[in-house]
Amino acid sequence: MAKINIDGPQNAEVSIKIPCEKSFSEQLFIMEEYTRVHKEGKHLDKAQREINCIKVLLPALFRQNETSDLIAGRLDFLPIGFGSVTSIGGVGHYCVFHKLRAFKDVLDNEADKVKIDTLYDYWQTNDVKAIYCQDVLNEETGRFIDCKYPFMATARLSGMMLDYKRLLNLGLDGLIQLLESKNQNAFISASIQTIQLLQDVIEQQKEKIIEDRKTADESRKQELTLILDSLTHIKHNKPDTFHQALQLFWLYALCAGAINYGRLDDLLGTFLKNDIQNGTICEEDAYRYLKSLWLMIENRRTTVNGRIIVGGRGRKDIEGADLFAKLCLRVCKDTRYVEPQFTLRISSETPEYIKEMAYDCIASGATYPTLYNDDVNVPATMYGMRVEEEIAEHYVPFGCGEFVIQGKSIGTPNVLINMLKVLQMTMNEGYDPMDNEKRVGSIHVPNLVEYKTFDDLYNKYKEVLNHYYDLSVKAQMHSYKVMNDHVSFLFNSILMDDCISREKSLLDGGIEILGGTNETYGNINSSDSLYAIKTLVFEDKKYTLQEINEAALANFIGFEGIRKDLWNAPKYGNDHTECDALANDLYEHAAKGMRQRGIDAGMGYFLIVISNNQTNTDWGLQTAASYDGRRSGVYTNPANNPQGGAAKNGPTATLNSLCKFDAKYHGGSVQNIKFTPRMMQEDKIKVQALFDTYFKKGGCQLMVTVVDHGILEDAQANPQNYPDLIVRVAGYSAVFVNLNKDIQTELLSRELYD
Amino acid sequence: MINIFNIERFATHDGPGIRSVVFLKGCPLHCPWCANPESWDVEPQVLYSKEKCTNCQLCATVCPTNAISFVNDRFTYDKEKCNACKACEHACTQEAIEITGKKVNIQEVMDVVLKDVDYYNQSNGGITISGGEPFNQSEELFTLVQACKKEELHVAIETTGYTSLENIKKVEPFTDLFLFDIKHTNMEKLKKITGAHLEIILENLIYLTQKDANKVIIRVPVIPLFNFCEERIKEIIDLAYSIKVKEVHLLAYHTLGENKWDKIMKQYYSNEPMVRKEDLVPYIAYGESLGITIKIGG
Repeated sequence: MAKINIDGPQNAEVSIKIPCEKSFSEQLFIMEEYTRVHKEGKHLDKAQREINCIKVLLPALFRQNETSDLIAGRLDFLPIGFGSVTSIGGVGHYCVFHKLRAFKDVLDNEADKVKIDTLYDYWQTNDVKAIYCQDVLNEETGRFIDCKYPFMATARLSGMMLDYKRLLNLGLDGLIQLLESKNQNAFISASIQTIQLLQDVIEQQKEKIIEDRKTADESRKQELTLILDSLTHIKHNKPDTFHQALQLFWLYALCAGAINYGRLDDLLGTFLKNDIQNGTICEEDAYRYLKSLWLMIENRRTTVNGRIIVGGRGRKDIEGADLFAKLCLRVCKDTRYVEPQFTLRISSETPEYIKEMAYDCIASGATYPTLYNDDVNVPATMYGMRVEEEIAEHYVPFGCGEFVIQGKSIGTPNVLINMLKVLQMTMNEGYDPMDNEKRVGSIHVPNLVEYKTFDDLYNKYKEVLNHYYDLSVKAQMHSYKVMNDHVSFLFNSILMDDCISREKSLLDGGIEILGGTNETYGNINSSDSLYAIKTLVFEDKKYTLQEINEAALANFIGFEGIRKDLWNAPKYGNDHTECDALANDLYEHAAKGMRQRGIDAGMGYFLIVISNNQTNTDWGLQTAASYDGRRSGVYTNPANNPQGGAAKNGPTATLNSLCKFDAKYHGGSVQNIKFTPRMMQEDKIKVQALFDTYFKKGGCQLMVTVVDHGILEDAQANPQNYPDLIVRVAGYSAVFVNLNKDIQTELLSRELYD
Repeated sequence: MINIFNIERFATHDGPGIRSVVFLKGCPLHCPWCANPESWDVEPQVLYSKEKCTNCQLCATVCPTNAISFVNDRFTYDKEKCNACKACEHACTQEAIEITGKKVNIQEVMDVVLKDVDYYNQSNGGITISGGEPFNQSEELFTLVQACKKEELHVAIETTGYTSLENIKKVEPFTDLFLFDIKHTNMEKLKKITGAHLEIILENLIYLTQKDANKVIIRVPVIPLFNFCEERIKEIIDLAYSIKVKEVHLLAYHTLGENKWDKIMKQYYSNEPMVRKEDLVPYIAYGESLGITIKIGG
């Protein structure tokens, strides 16, 4: 048995997954077969072992296409298999242990249950993430997601955005030719087999379509014929039409386990424009294809991923790309799905009609598009990731908002820090008041009486933070080492610079920019706490540090006066110069500290991200009362936003505070804002001016939930009446009633502007 | 120093564009429907929330001037004795007491207002000075508008018009827009219900429109049992027409300020329901027929 706990949830999962189409016995057979091939491949090169294993899964796990589908390709996954990310399956050769246990529970045959036990035992020492966890998890480092720790680490390859342009430019035979021109090492040889496997997948899809066509009505037959023709073409050739291009892109993304898609307007815009110009299709045809794509992405249900990005600088064919973007905006508004996470990059060059359509889409309550400001983010990426402008122009946010360079960089967030827990440990001689465990390494954290000045406390806090920054870099680098020890991520490597030229897989030295990100939480609770301590203890001398700590340890029960003073102290998000300055100082300490450690470790970049999925709520549940007046167990502040209820001076004040963090030090930071439909409609010009000003002042990102007074409260009480009420949680959107109560409450706590 | 009781940022209802509204304390009128009754008295005062109060009486204990006492466990407040030291507000753990209003210097007001100057510039917005009745602190108002103009802000004043013509003349050159309340056209009724003298108000209004009618928007709080009838509303629109005012705002009576009356421990206007915006829509066409833009709401 494993010495550490490898079981339990491994990612945020709000959207309910569509169950695998295969029977339980078929699923069991595939998992056993995968395990057998994996076991037998022990002495093979990792790349060959990987492709052998994937051949068990593909094309077998492709399921029936739906009658509404206008491109082919729906893929299931199992508790055991191969992947890159935890949102669908797992990482590398994976076993999702709690899902395997759940699978066992539905079996009624005892012999089959024994088989599951055998699989479970095998994968405990072979699941790539479990191997990583064995190495890394200890008394200071928790498993992702185990919120009792101040620091969590995981192995995953999140946020891969592949260079699909290479795929569409070369076609599959072209890719094979390119690979054949290289030295035939194990990686290149396995890569050729990978593309050939994709051709097998296409062949299987053709057979499915031919089968479907037998029973289809006339109009469906026409659609199926279109799909069949495209499949036939792309099996060997590079695509000529928009439909072929879309089809090839989609099947590749599915096989690669990629769940963020990138700048599709830059990829597909020219195909679309040409097809319309030469009369192959009309805009309405393209609209229908995209609507189908939207549904197929929704059906993958990755909760926090599914990014499609349009707009912004660096696109080759602006006319075609904007045409594509326009259609996406229509589809997004009409469908109102929680995925894809539709994202618009804007700049001073964005056409007014695109901005106008985006506003209308947001005002309709779709929560999309999320807005990213190129005028800030391109220069910020140049500095943060140390790349030239033409590379930085291809930054893309994935998942909850971390940036990568499409086709060029890895930026997976494999470590997470709760900065508030670190502050609490600094106040309590290194012990976390939540569970009385000491987690500060070998750092001496003194009794409170020894902090004679604010700087004594703040410097000690920074010292403990530094310890966690050190752990972060080590854990991140080690995740790459462990993944590289076992897998080549073949499908990903083939479409990432510069793996083919270097003849090396992604993590074996193939990737051009080896980056990474660290998710930080509780940033604002920490800086607000520090500001309250600074003013109430060290300036006004109203309380001692001990009194404040005593009150927090008691969760303020019996200390309501202290809590009130802490809560009423100036808070970030109100455009308060000194308070915001302290927040910025702490931000820069974390951001610069992390970035420099990444550079020193030889990474292309290692940046903090102040994004959020729902970890602010989950981690808050296990974080003691804090010195900003927040009670024990309450959510921490979401992403880069103020704590719920703390912003009291309207949206301009909040946005002004948000603008104060210089974007060049982070690798993604997200900002939520909530308006009523009335304000979005009646005060449209003023709200537009608000957004424009925020972006001009240096705002990097904005995402908007539009909801009426009382609606969220009513939806909490009467969920049956609100099946399609979409809200922006932070780095993802969700149907409100599907969220758990704690997260709903956090959303309610945020200011609603009317 | 100027007495204010709030600065609202990102205000979208009191003048063009994105604005900050500075609310000055003190008003010579006593409109019984007032949404800001805490603005009448120029001095700071206590707002008390009975629902939040647990009757711990700590506020009375800490009050250095005995302005707060509990008579038969009932909160009582003597405004005359209060020096607004905020001891009660700080002591109350339930946030049942707050002191509304504070004396600040003009620069403090400007520091807040100037934080959003980029938003004003983007949206053609600016500052609106409201109340209370801003002219109630006419000297301070004069200083404030001058300070705003020095910063090249668009300045609007929301006024009842109930002040001396001399005050109006002084402030007018520094003001871009007057949001000028006309509540009634009947002298007696206005005097009886609000305490204001219509002839003074009209003299000021006419002065301003003669200077520049484009700098004046007439605002009418539409109040049941007071002026909410076709004849009255039309009279006001006709008045606007006669003095070349091009825009009239009809502000539908709402009861959102009712809890403030509870907090100052006074009886609210009536149990009349809120005026529905739909009921005011017909006046848009009437205004149009006279070349006047009628807006429902600000």
